[in-house]
Amino acid sequence: MKTAVKRLYEGLFLVDSALAASDWDGVLGTIRKFLERAGADIVSLKKWDDRRLAYEVEGKSRGTYILAYFHCEPSRVHGIERDVNLSERVLRVLILRADRMSREDMEKPTPAELHPEGSSMPVPEPLEEADDTAAEVAGAEPAGDEPAASE
Amino acid sequence: MAKETGPSKKKKKFLTTLREQTQCRFCREGRRYIDYKDVEALQKLLTNRGKIFSRKRSGNCASCQRKVKLAIKRARFMALLPFTA
Repeated sequence: MKTAVKRLYEGLFLVDSALAASDWDGVLGTIRKFLERAGADIVSLKKWDDRRLAYEVEGKSRGTYILAYFHCEPSRVHGIERDVNLSERVLRVLILRADRMSREDMEKPTPAELHPEGSSMPVPEPLEEADDTAAEVAGAEPAGDEPAASE
Repeated sequence: MAKETGPSKKKKKFLTTLREQTQCRFCREGRRYIDYKDVEALQKLLTNRGKIFSRKRSGNCASCQRKVKLAIKRARFMALLPFTA
């Protein structure tokens, strides 16, 4: 007989911003339903951020991210992903193992909490500005082409 | 392989300072896991077209570069970062 061990997982769900704004409880309810159907024990489920997407997903250019931590049997995680794929309300999901996460990590304030007014959106758009960042990175780094160190 | 003779005192000092400087940005902070949700940090490691900087350009160590690669690819999937711009 096999005893099912539940692991801690972190799931980030992407939903359409307009839908989240109009029916927030419904969206949370949908996600909760997916998790419960997979027999998951939800540790936390909260809004992570609302931001402009780096590229359009199903014709949507703004999205709301919902971050969930839950304990689930590894074999049933796939079921959550399948439910999301079949759902029209949730655009995407990424579920990762979060074994090394501590309680504090999970309770860290989300970008939505840090910047409640408007989204903290550093999403890349203007090409001209990005050039500065590139120069900065190059300048900030120590020269890597020194003659080989010891060894 | 190094030369037979050990480095001189002056060179040794230079090497130690160099070694301190050359720790990569994530090693300096002592981070063992690079989070794909930390878009601001990952953004600095991309070109304006959304390509990942080489190790030589970003100064990352091999291990951190692999972690960064994974984090960026996860962030791209979640539309937090662009595949191309």
